[in-house]
Amino acid sequence: MVIIMKCQKCGKNEANTHVKRVINGEFEEYHLCSECAKDMGYSNMFSDFSTSFTDDFNSLFGSFFENALPARTQATRCETCGTSYNDIARTGMMGCADCYDVFADRILPTIRRIHGNTTHMGKNSPSYKKIEFEEKPDEEKDDELNKLKDELETAIKNQEFEKAAVLRDKIKEKEDNNE
Amino acid sequence: MSKVVMQTRIRLARNLKKYPFPIRLNTAGKNKVCEDIINAVKNCNSPLSRELDVLYVKDLTEAQRISLVEQHLASPEFMSDSAGRALILSKDKTMSIMINEEDHIRLQILYKDLSLEQAYDTADKLDTLLDENLDFAFDKKLGYITQCPTNLGTGMRASVMLHLPALKSSKAIGRIAGNLSKLGLTIRGAYGEGTEPEGAMYQLSNQVTLGISEKAAIENLKNITQQLVSQELQAQKRMSESLETQDKICRSLGILRTAKLISCKEALELLSNVRFGINSGIIEGVDLETVDSLFGEIQPATMIVNKNEKISPTQRDKLRAEILNDRLKG
Repeated sequence: MVIIMKCQKCGKNEANTHVKRVINGEFEEYHLCSECAKDMGYSNMFSDFSTSFTDDFNSLFGSFFENALPARTQATRCETCGTSYNDIARTGMMGCADCYDVFADRILPTIRRIHGNTTHMGKNSPSYKKIEFEEKPDEEKDDELNKLKDELETAIKNQEFEKAAVLRDKIKEKEDNNE
Repeated sequence: MSKVVMQTRIRLARNLKKYPFPIRLNTAGKNKVCEDIINAVKNCNSPLSRELDVLYVKDLTEAQRISLVEQHLASPEFMSDSAGRALILSKDKTMSIMINEEDHIRLQILYKDLSLEQAYDTADKLDTLLDENLDFAFDKKLGYITQCPTNLGTGMRASVMLHLPALKSSKAIGRIAGNLSKLGLTIRGAYGEGTEPEGAMYQLSNQVTLGISEKAAIENLKNITQQLVSQELQAQKRMSESLETQDKICRSLGILRTAKLISCKEALELLSNVRFGINSGIIEGVDLETVDSLFGEIQPATMIVNKNEKISPTQRDKLRAEILNDRLKG
C-alpha cells in the first residue's frame, strides 16, 4: 500500500515538495503540496539556490558554512569555464561538463529533487565505453572513490556537515593521488 | 491510432566534451561548434548525411524562423537568438539538429502517427554515429551531461502530439493533466501561447530523464498514450450521438468552405471540429490527411513563407479563407 503524505500546511493536498532548512541552528523539515510550497516561495525548482535566497543564506549562515564545509565547496569559479556558483543560481544552467564536478555537493540535491534520484540508467555513450575499457586496471580504485562520493552525498543530504568535511578531505586526497 | 495521435517526436540533448556549454561560448566559439557538428554529420554516413540542408539562423528571415517553429522543427528559444546557431534539416524534414540551442546538439526525429520505437531507433543510431566523431560529454553516474540539470541522464524527451477534442470539451483534460505529473509525464498545448490549447492539439511528453532508461520512458509514454487514446475515442463516440455536436461539426465545415476572412485561431478550432467529424463518421467525403496538413499550412508565418512575399494580417486572413475554401470544397 502506498501511503500518501498530506501537505503539512493545508492538510488537504498530497505533499510533493520536501523542504529542509536550518533556522538558528535548529533543523526543520516540511512536506508541502505544490500550491503551499509556491505560496511560501519554494515554487522554483532551483529555489534553494536562487540568488536572493543564497544572498540571505550567505549573509546569515555564511560563517557557519565556512567552518562546516571544506575548502573545495567554496570554489567560487569552475577552472575550466569560469562559471561561478552564483551564475548557476541565477541562470539555472551549468557552464560546462566540469561544473558538475566542481559544484557537485550543491547541485546533487537539486538533481535529486528534479529527477527523484541521481543515477543514470539507459544508453551509455560509445566513447565512454571505450575509456572504461582502457582504464580497467583502475576500476577498483574508482569504486572506492565512488563509494566515498556516495557517502558524501548522503552526509550532505542529511546535513551532517562535520562528517561531510572529513569525507571531502579523503576524496580530495584520493583524487590528488590518482592524478 | 492516427485518429488521435498526429505525430511522434524524439529529441536527444548532447554536448561536445571539448567545449563549454553554449551559455559560456561567444559567437566565435559557437561558430566552431557549428563547424565541428556540421562536418561530423556530413561525414558520418547516416541517412541524414546524404540529403540535408544547413540553415544558419542569421541568414533566415523572421517569417522563415517562425515557420520552422510552427512546423515543430525548431524551438522558439532557438530562433530567439541568431548568433552562432544553425539548423541541420533532412530534406524530408524527419531529422533535424539544432546547434547551440540550450545544448550543443538537440537532435530530433519527427515521425507521423504513433511510432515511438521507430523514432527512437533512428535517433539512437544517428547519436551513436555522431558520438564516434564528436565525443559527447558523458558521466557514468549522471549520464549524458547537459547544460540544464533537468535533461541529465538520457537527455531524451519523447513526445506525441494528440488531438483530444472530446476530452477537451468535457473538461476531463484538466483532471488527467494533474494525474500525469505523478507518472513523470507532462501535457501542454501544441499550438498557441495562451493557456487554452488551440485546435485541441496537445503535446504529451516524458519529464524525468535521470534514473529511467530510454526504453522504460518510451514504454511508459506509450502506455499512457494508449489509455488517453481509448478514453478520447470513447468520449468522441458518446458526444457524436448528440445533435448539438453534429450541428457544431457540420457548421464548422460550412464556415471553412465559405468564409471570406478567417483568423488562424478560428480556423484551428473549426478544423479540430471537422477532424472530430471525420473520425466519428459525421462528415464523409473529406480527406483526413488534407485536414491534418491544413493545421500546419494555415499558420501565419508558414503562409508568408509559402506565398514568398510579405502579406498583412488582413490579407493573410483572406488568403487563409481562400486556401481552406479550395482544399475542403465538396
